[in-house]
Amino acid sequence: MSQVYKRELVFVVTGVVALVMMLDYFFGKNIPWLSGAGGISGQLQTWALIIQLMAIGLGAINLIQVHYRQISRKTNMAIYSASFMVFFAFLLLLGFYKLATGVELYPYTWIFANVYTSLGATLYAITGFYIFSAAYRAFRARNIDAAILLIGGIFVLLANAPIGEVIWSGFPLIGNWFNNVGQIPGMRTFTVVGALGLLAYGFRALIGKERGFYSEVQ
Amino acid sequence: MSGQDIWDKLQNVDRRVFYWILFIGLTVPFLTPIGLPISVTPSTQAYFDGLKTIEKGEVVVLSINSGVSAWGDCLPAMVTSVHKVYDQGGKLIVWSIGYNDVDITWRKIQEKLPDVFSKWKEGENYVYFGYCPPQETNVALLATNIRAVYTQDVRGVKTGDIPMMKDINGANKIKFVLSSDTGDAQMYYIRQWKNGQVNYEKTGKPPLIAEMGIAMNKSGDMVYFLSGDEFGLVGGSRGAAELEALTGYKGDATTTMDSISVSHVLLVLAIILANIAMVATRGQKK
Amino acid sequence: MEHVLTLHGELKTNGEKKMGVWIILDTKFVALLILIASFILFYVYMNLAKGGMKIKARTFPAVAAIPEAIGRAAEMGKPVYYSTGLGQSTLNNQLNGPQTLAGISILGYTTRLCAKSGVKITYFTPIADSLPLVEETMRTAYMAEGKPEEFDPAVAINFQQDQSPYLTASLGWIQREKPASTFLLGGFYYEAVVIGEAGNTIGAMQIGGSANTHQLPFLVATCDYTLIMEELYAASAAISGNPDVLGSLKGEDLLKFLVLILIGLGFILALVNNNSLISLLRL
Repeated sequence: MSQVYKRELVFVVTGVVALVMMLDYFFGKNIPWLSGAGGISGQLQTWALIIQLMAIGLGAINLIQVHYRQISRKTNMAIYSASFMVFFAFLLLLGFYKLATGVELYPYTWIFANVYTSLGATLYAITGFYIFSAAYRAFRARNIDAAILLIGGIFVLLANAPIGEVIWSGFPLIGNWFNNVGQIPGMRTFTVVGALGLLAYGFRALIGKERGFYSEVQ
Repeated sequence: MSGQDIWDKLQNVDRRVFYWILFIGLTVPFLTPIGLPISVTPSTQAYFDGLKTIEKGEVVVLSINSGVSAWGDCLPAMVTSVHKVYDQGGKLIVWSIGYNDVDITWRKIQEKLPDVFSKWKEGENYVYFGYCPPQETNVALLATNIRAVYTQDVRGVKTGDIPMMKDINGANKIKFVLSSDTGDAQMYYIRQWKNGQVNYEKTGKPPLIAEMGIAMNKSGDMVYFLSGDEFGLVGGSRGAAELEALTGYKGDATTTMDSISVSHVLLVLAIILANIAMVATRGQKK
Repeated sequence: MEHVLTLHGELKTNGEKKMGVWIILDTKFVALLILIASFILFYVYMNLAKGGMKIKARTFPAVAAIPEAIGRAAEMGKPVYYSTGLGQSTLNNQLNGPQTLAGISILGYTTRLCAKSGVKITYFTPIADSLPLVEETMRTAYMAEGKPEEFDPAVAINFQQDQSPYLTASLGWIQREKPASTFLLGGFYYEAVVIGEAGNTIGAMQIGGSANTHQLPFLVATCDYTLIMEELYAASAAISGNPDVLGSLKGEDLLKFLVLILIGLGFILALVNNNSLISLLRL
């Protein structure tokens, strides 16, 4: 198949699937062949899930390529890439063992429960430190808008911490006002406007005018 | 650095200084707790009031849509909510829309509540279904046909054979959904359950939704609470600490409140310092 | 409650089906009408624009800064970091999938500029199902500049399953390679502030954008230029300059005015305790 047809086929499939999903959303309730787990839309969702899971295999290949390159070129990251490959192979074997026998070996669970999840929680905790330095840099009253942002931010910060109401009872009062009243119009605007932008983007994708995400480069 | 006075240096302090100050500031309250009082915000009060309306035998869904990284914000609220459901005599269905580490989270909740789970019987008082793919169509399907999404629970027992699920196959038997999420799952429930077609039998209205979210999302989640799409909102560790204060079960969130107080005060002081330096530098340049 | 709307315009409730042609709709009837009206509006303006109507889209500073960011990287001899965020680790997500696709559209443009300037660009992602799209887009960009041999997926694309590994890899790469510019355009979660701040630490020029409201404050605080909400979706239209695509932006603006009118009307009716508009929109 020529490249042109291959490219056009992607956009045709995108449009057809989008149309089916829209029809399902509005009319699917009482049309069994369209909606539900056994209907067309359900099948498409299942296929999308299968493709997503298969794509993890592609991702694994990319990982191996990236780290093999480091090892073969003996870069200063080679040792880390080598350790990654060792762990990757080890966990893969454990996973295959579970597939073959149905038995989940202790190291498999232990590594996930005690290493991976702990590291994940640690990274989430790092966010706090980074927010601190970002706020220190960003909260400068360079102009009137920034000054208003700064003042509002301080009230919200101290409303969120129990010490705020100990310092002054006005902090939680004003801070919660910012949370419950002050920022709501802005948030709602973002939500509505974002939805409209998404609508236009979806329409362009539906009729094949939005092509930037697959091989059409501006 | 030559030619820089104290004010310039203050504006460009090395981040690592802040990180150390923050680290020490966060650690000290764990060693010597301060124990400041916690006032309750309307959103958490509304959440608690909602939990208090659970009658004996009523079924509530706990949808765990947050990962292990969000335990700090979401886990205490989930633990307290499960405890309250138990106290009210309610029953619990637990599942997850899209987070594959839900098993670890559920195990942690059970570890935190030994008094509850020593008395609760799986299959009669609670059922745990585990993970399902993060699609809104799954959430829509759960409202009308739970068995189509979860054919069996994590023990391998068919959904229809689970004693508490014999009469339950959709939102018509579920009082409300407590969604703990870091992203979009609450919106799926709002669109498909709250604004859906299936009504809860006892009230004749769609099941209610409540959110236990991370602090980062609180401002966005507040929109749904204030519009009435959610009956309650527990936002972050602060919200969880408020819930613990209301229920009387002091847990992890209350412990972290002192650290949060210290970190927030440090941040405010740092910001004020930076602005003083900026104003002083500006004055000098003039 | 089920609403049955027949072609004769008769409204019945409780699911009485009429023989013959019928349409059964649940409480999304008005939503469907609004959707169809929006599509018609977009289509009309797209055709008007294609027919010659001049449509002026304001310059997005973030989009205008992309060549500057690439030029900076070329001068400094440093690479460029690009990421479309966690996006819930899948393209098959209602809110984040389109953001990822919009980010990939801008990636194509950015890659082309990088290829032209001889700048190395590395794309980080935890979204496995976007890999074929990204590889094809980047390959096409290099081919468009006549340098297909310079594209190596093992160098240009870096995939890690899940948020924490992706974040760790990004942080490590940024601290080692010290990119001159970073692009954070897509469906971001908490990694926005971490990667943004890491970029600030090394003094990179940062362009960010997301439609996730909870990450916008962090992107605005850490990035030099930010695309906010719909600007992310409109950016690819702005880059292409394609008249019929710009026409859809015009239609979108008109839709915003209509929404404003509805809000105003609702506000006035709410003042007199009238819920008819709310009931109508809920049909």
